[in-house]
Amino acid sequence: MTAIRCAAFVSCVALAAISLSLHAQELTLPLKTDSVRFAAIGDMGNGNKEQYEVAGQMLAYRGKFPFEFVLMLGDDLIGGKEPIDYQNKFELPYKALLDAGVKFYAVFGNHDISNERFYKLFNMNGQEYYTFKKGNVRFFALDSNYMKPQQLAWLEKELQNSGSDWKICYFHHPLYSSGATHGSATELRLLLEPLFVKYGVQVVFAGHDHVYERVKPQKGTYYFTEGASGELRKGDLRKTDLTAAGYDQDRSFMLVEIAGDELYFQTISRTGVTVDSGVIRRAAKIAGAASWPTVRPGHGGLPGRTVANAIGVGFTRAPTATE
Amino acid sequence: MKRRIRVTRLLLWLSVLAFVAPGFAGQARVPGESEEARDLKTFADRVQAYVKMQKDLEASLSTLKPTKDAAQIVEHQHALARKIADARRDARQGDIFTHEVTERFRKIIRKAFQGPEGRLARRTIQQDTPFKVPVLRVNDVYPEGIPLTTTPPTLLLKLPELPPELAYRFVGRDLTLKDIKAGLIVDIIPKAIPRGLLL
Repeated sequence: MTAIRCAAFVSCVALAAISLSLHAQELTLPLKTDSVRFAAIGDMGNGNKEQYEVAGQMLAYRGKFPFEFVLMLGDDLIGGKEPIDYQNKFELPYKALLDAGVKFYAVFGNHDISNERFYKLFNMNGQEYYTFKKGNVRFFALDSNYMKPQQLAWLEKELQNSGSDWKICYFHHPLYSSGATHGSATELRLLLEPLFVKYGVQVVFAGHDHVYERVKPQKGTYYFTEGASGELRKGDLRKTDLTAAGYDQDRSFMLVEIAGDELYFQTISRTGVTVDSGVIRRAAKIAGAASWPTVRPGHGGLPGRTVANAIGVGFTRAPTATE
Repeated sequence: MKRRIRVTRLLLWLSVLAFVAPGFAGQARVPGESEEARDLKTFADRVQAYVKMQKDLEASLSTLKPTKDAAQIVEHQHALARKIADARRDARQGDIFTHEVTERFRKIIRKAFQGPEGRLARRTIQQDTPFKVPVLRVNDVYPEGIPLTTTPPTLLLKLPELPPELAYRFVGRDLTLKDIKAGLIVDIIPKAIPRGLLL
């Protein structure tokens, strides 16, 4: 009887493995003409084997989804900051991407130091916080370690003057997070969220908690935590009311495509398995009002698939479930 | 009769005193306020003097511009730190955070951290304080392996603004003034966060 149970269990595991491998390297992004394409990684810079494996997976996916740049969500160089660290924790893992002309745009994490802003391949141009534009998208790269009044004033001015359809902020500390180790940066939220609401920031990317999480929209803004592109705190994601989807069983990275009023996202594990995907739609802008997006999970993915070890809400990608 | 008059005069005198005393007390607060302004001016002047010295010393090095050569960045930081530490070899704790400034800062920090209003600032500090807090001294290089504690942003709204070359950084309960380009500790307020406010 035990043998039969064991055989059944092994069969289930084998089926799951086959299912996952079939699912691996599947692109859910639409590859629309003239879209803005990028990747997002966070808490990656430890130089460990897994960081290199995630980088390898990013390269493999770039064959199908030629993203042009990468958002680095902080903890870009963890531990030492000697020249060899820049090499082992950044230049070598991402060498093929760098050689292919992919640009990396960094922000500081709590393991980074200020002088990294002078490292040309981080594209910070000597600034602690900065902004850049790609197509119809304006990105705001912030230093959440040190949110001084000057930075807040700068952000408000830049948001006010941004005529872009999409406004995306990214920084290290998540304003909303179900990570058990750190959780939400509530004090920072007190200062930043009113600006996001006032000026219609649609999407925010952060790291710090070493997991992946997509948070249910908060006051009209979508929050992603991608803090597991090198580091990982397995099992650290608590089930909270915030979580729309999450993954804390392996390292991961995100691919994003913005085409017109739609932002498509796909989150992929170190082994190439898609653990979350969906599309966020920017609502039509009403004069004088911020434009709020809506999300439809599961765009392009296999319907209703749930990956093992999900945290309750799991990774269901049912195309009918609209938030 | 005389006694009654004396008592009446005394009561009158006391009532006059009671009327005038708060006015005197109000006047006494004015010098207190100007002392605060003077203390903060002293702090600002010393900060400016430090930044001028840092810039003068940095001018003797090759200019650091964005570069792909990480060695250049690291060497620049080390060279600048050596020059500053040498120029300030006699620097002592309290040179910039003078006694009076320290007391002002302690008050601001205590107010920012205590009570229900201070809950978020306390949480910010507690979330990121490393388990092993190093003991730092003036002219020490901030240890690169130790993660930064987020400086509570609501506190930054209350402390005097710093030029971009410097930052307030908490290390455990100590507040440090950090030269962000040289990575040096410029000054320290030990135990700036009162005991008991952090777990």
